[in-house]
Amino acid sequence: MTSEVTDPVAQAKAAIEYCYEQGWTDGLPVVPATAADVAACLATTGRDGDEVISSQPHLSRSVTVAQAAANAIMAGCKPEYFPVVLAAWQAVCLERASRGAWQSTSGPAPLIIVNGPVRSRLGVNYAGGVFGPGFRANATIARAIGLIVRNGYGIHPQELEQATQGLPGRWSVCIGENEEMSPWEPLSVVGGVAPGTDAVSAILIRTCEYVDNRSTDSAAAVLTDFADSLARLGAYVGGAHSSGGLVLGPEHAQLLGNAGYSRADVQEWLFEHAVRDRSDMVAAGKGEHAVADADHGGPFRMMPAAQDIPIMVAGAANAAMSMVFRPFGWAAWSRQSVPVGYAEERS
Amino acid sequence: MFENIVDPTVGPGAGAQRRPVALADRPASLRGLRLGLLANTKRNAEQFLADVGTVLAGDYGMRVVLARKKPNIVETAPEPIMAELGEQCDVVVTGVGDCGSCSASAVADGLLLEQAGIPAVVICSDAFTVSADAMAYLRGAAGYRYVTTPHPVANLTPEGVQSRAAAAVPAIVALLTEPAMAASA
Repeated sequence: MTSEVTDPVAQAKAAIEYCYEQGWTDGLPVVPATAADVAACLATTGRDGDEVISSQPHLSRSVTVAQAAANAIMAGCKPEYFPVVLAAWQAVCLERASRGAWQSTSGPAPLIIVNGPVRSRLGVNYAGGVFGPGFRANATIARAIGLIVRNGYGIHPQELEQATQGLPGRWSVCIGENEEMSPWEPLSVVGGVAPGTDAVSAILIRTCEYVDNRSTDSAAAVLTDFADSLARLGAYVGGAHSSGGLVLGPEHAQLLGNAGYSRADVQEWLFEHAVRDRSDMVAAGKGEHAVADADHGGPFRMMPAAQDIPIMVAGAANAAMSMVFRPFGWAAWSRQSVPVGYAEERS
Repeated sequence: MFENIVDPTVGPGAGAQRRPVALADRPASLRGLRLGLLANTKRNAEQFLADVGTVLAGDYGMRVVLARKKPNIVETAPEPIMAELGEQCDVVVTGVGDCGSCSASAVADGLLLEQAGIPAVVICSDAFTVSADAMAYLRGAAGYRYVTTPHPVANLTPEGVQSRAAAAVPAIVALLTEPAMAASA
């Protein structure tokens, strides 16, 4: 009908439907991308659109900068978000487990962490409600990663992607670090990037679980609470250890900082105390690895090496709660953060 | 009307499935042929293949000459392992594809061997036929046939593995001696 063709709202809806029909969406509407949109993204980076930024050789698929740009626009990103998307994608690809992650029954999500002044420039939330929703940069940067996996690699749910259940919000976990309220250096400094530099880190995770502890001013008590969640049997999938990390709320972080704990001290404490008795593992039918070198008893450390327990700070200082997250696989985190590269330096 | 919308799927390799692969010729008989076993790291995979080998040796006169385990469930087997299999074996059985990545990867291994002229039979659990088929399509071999065994395999006892392996053998023999395509791709 003529009214449908000339009505701009009807046209916009029709374009969105067109994208659904092509199989390009993650289930939510996408913003149709044009060549001009892609060019606007490329202009923020100064990179060649044909540059290949990642490959999955076993699928014979690669992704270019221009493809990433189209998917970022479709996710709802503004062009100026694109350098962060590229850095996030590179950080995700640095994760050893990312090769098979998108096909895995585990269905992991990338936890994307943004550090530096870029948080304020783009409006990346690092304070209240940091896990969302409500903030365009957080929501769309994370979503762009998912669309690149889908459209760039051609990995679709119930086809090459074989997630048993997946997890809530798989493509929506992008947070800023609350550097302003952290007692420690930014996570990106742990990841090898100079302080004050815009940078992105990524860790593939299988779940998040809160630790709500507003009842004590004892650092050891709060750490005990964290260690209990980290040592949960269900998260252990066999092998030499489980995995775990923490997004500390500012109140917990400052409680620990004021008690004299460095980030490394916290990691070491959790490594020492996130322990289960081997008999617990046996009782849950998971004793095969845990008892291989011992009789049925004695402690089993659930965490990998202390440095492989990622710890960061995000959220509001309005209640003492934190989030345990569970890295996918045994490789924990690459501990390599990726600087955000804009075409021209900003003051 | 929407031709100016950028297709986000267009990139290097997106047309890979348009290059069809040629499968290896099948032998008339298995008797005396050299059998290779290519396992992945999933629990029970090596034992499953070893038990298959035992039956194929005992009942069909094959000789198990090589058993290898690839180090990574996602990637295809490393070149040195593929070269060994290609040089020392007449046919190969590989698997067990019992996860999202490794089912697809097992099919990729099978097709690489086929391209090298080695008839290969892939074993996948029946929970992962979709990803196995998707990989066959990606690799230009839509309709590539493989053997299924009920999911799960990882929690079977040694006796359970043995029984499953024995049950899979007739289908393995069929795929080693009959055309390996369900239909022309």
